Amino acid sequence: MAIQTQEDRTDPYKISFEWKDLNLFIYLEGEFGLKNLTAFNADIHREMSRQKLNSVTIDFSKVDYLDSAAALTMVQIQKDAIARNIPCQLVNLNDEAKGIFSVIHEEALNHLSFKSSQDHDDFVRKIGQSSLDIASDFTNFVTFIGDFMVAIFYIIRHPKTLRGKDVLFYIQRAGVEGLPIVAVIGLLIGLIIAFMSYLQLKMVGANIYVPALVSFAMIKELGPLMTAILVAGRSGSAFAAEIGTMAVNEEVDALHTMGFDSVRFLAVPKVLATIIVLPILTVYADFFGIIGGMIIGVTSLDLTMKTYITQSVKTVKVFDIVTSLIKAGVFAALIASIGCQKGFQVRSGAQDVGKFTTSAVVAAIFLIVLADSIFAIMFYYI
Amino acid sequence: MDKEDATPIIAVKNLSARFDENVVFEDLNFQVYKGEILVIVGASGCGKSTLLKIMIGLQKPSAGQVLYQGFDIVNADEKELNLYRQNIGVLFQSGALFSSMTLKENIELPLQEYTDLDPATIDTIIKMKLGMVDLAGYENYNPSELSGGMRKRAGIARAMALDPRVLFFDELSAGLDPVTAAELDDLIIKTNKALRTTMVIVTHELESIYKIAHRVLMLDKEAKGIIAEGKPLDLKKNATDPRVMSFFLRQLPAGPAEQRFYVS
Repeated sequence: MAIQTQEDRTDPYKISFEWKDLNLFIYLEGEFGLKNLTAFNADIHREMSRQKLNSVTIDFSKVDYLDSAAALTMVQIQKDAIARNIPCQLVNLNDEAKGIFSVIHEEALNHLSFKSSQDHDDFVRKIGQSSLDIASDFTNFVTFIGDFMVAIFYIIRHPKTLRGKDVLFYIQRAGVEGLPIVAVIGLLIGLIIAFMSYLQLKMVGANIYVPALVSFAMIKELGPLMTAILVAGRSGSAFAAEIGTMAVNEEVDALHTMGFDSVRFLAVPKVLATIIVLPILTVYADFFGIIGGMIIGVTSLDLTMKTYITQSVKTVKVFDIVTSLIKAGVFAALIASIGCQKGFQVRSGAQDVGKFTTSAVVAAIFLIVLADSIFAIMFYYI
Repeated sequence: MDKEDATPIIAVKNLSARFDENVVFEDLNFQVYKGEILVIVGASGCGKSTLLKIMIGLQKPSAGQVLYQGFDIVNADEKELNLYRQNIGVLFQSGALFSSMTLKENIELPLQEYTDLDPATIDTIIKMKLGMVDLAGYENYNPSELSGGMRKRAGIARAMALDPRVLFFDELSAGLDPVTAAELDDLIIKTNKALRTTMVIVTHELESIYKIAHRVLMLDKEAKGIIAEGKPLDLKKNATDPRVMSFFLRQLPAGPAEQRFYVS
């Protein structure tokens, strides 16, 4: 193969050493580069430490190729020798080699590293920074909610400014495209609850309560919660990544300079679409959960389909369905707004997009669970 | 550098590129000589970037060959291409430094991957490379903390990490102020003189072209190929082709305005 590479470039080289009294003459021959740097460096050092030296002369007259790293090594060898009070000379350099040596600047090699403003190594400082970050996260979220409310009131007063097409687009994205996975997860959860409760209830002969347990658990708790977590993973992250990438590409700045309110333009359609689709997806998940329970009920519990449905319907009250939908709506608002807000926080680079997308999902799931706990207590007292 | 006493390091033979029906260029033939600075120019859409992508092995042409020291990189498999890529360095338009890493880590990456050097040697090499591009001391900085010109220089330092034989530059001075662009030109000239690195540069900046180019290659969208080749000042003085003249003299092509601005 004609191609020369770092891997197969053997940089064929030969070094001859000649001693005249205590003066060492080193004759270099061939190619000296990154690939054989470690080897020839070791050769020269070995020879130089063999015995007492008065002077070293390195001869370059037969060098065919030299790269900057090899030249740097020669300079280092010279510096080491001089540090040991041994005069060291580099001789017979051709123009090409001289050019390569000219790029090595002593002051650059000894230059102290500037401290980056992003270096926060000490522990106390890190704790302080994290506390400030948490505080500013909270402030940012509250500010975002404020901006969002302003945008909503503006849209109520000027309904034509709502970007309907975008709302429909995100309904499609977050809702319609999420139907299959919501159905599968709902069905499997229904199956699992029915199966696990059957294993326990059959011991007391209470199989008949399995449909009630499945429908109650699905509608009151698991349906809204599981769907919300799924949507947080699918859409919340997508919103953060989308707005974040726009921020990196200065598209958000462009919106501002064109006089658009970025929250109204980018966040409102996403939040509205999610508030519309999440309750629908929840009903869908509930339905498939009950179907999943029914599969176990009919196949393993000797219940007829009619009995199963009657038992399910008897347990569920309209109040439960309404509260479940309200919960879904609130979860939707949390997921979408946290996703958008995290997206707006992105400042620079791919790493920031990743960081805020992760943070959007984590924060959304945390807030969902927190809100769910609050709802549980609230509905108990109603 | 004289063409006559130089050996070609890259030879492009009968190269064609097309996207579906759209032919970008056809039957390109040219050579890049060892140690020269070749500048590729042409109006937007003439295929400069496509040509560059093919030459660095990021894109396959629809026909033809790109020979690096006689080795065809078009028909090379991924492993062979990787070996080729260790011999070249590329500076992308935006610098393309990895934003999650400091400058030191950016330059360190190829050295760690492709050499057996110990960390102390790598550190010294990094310091030397940063010194070469006038960024001594900036090793702990993240790319986001640097200005556009500094980012480009850091990109050059990374591209030169393995002492490549050929350096490719995409839109060298795009988006830089004249002073920074001039500094970059000086850096290019200095590096080329000192290290004899062959350079292939895509740029529009006339000032830069006159200053740095040993040879210019002009591509044209309509001709779907090379319409001029030569030393920049020769092209400016002796060109007869109206397209070449209008580019080097920075004038609108002759003809009625409505024809000039007609968009097909």
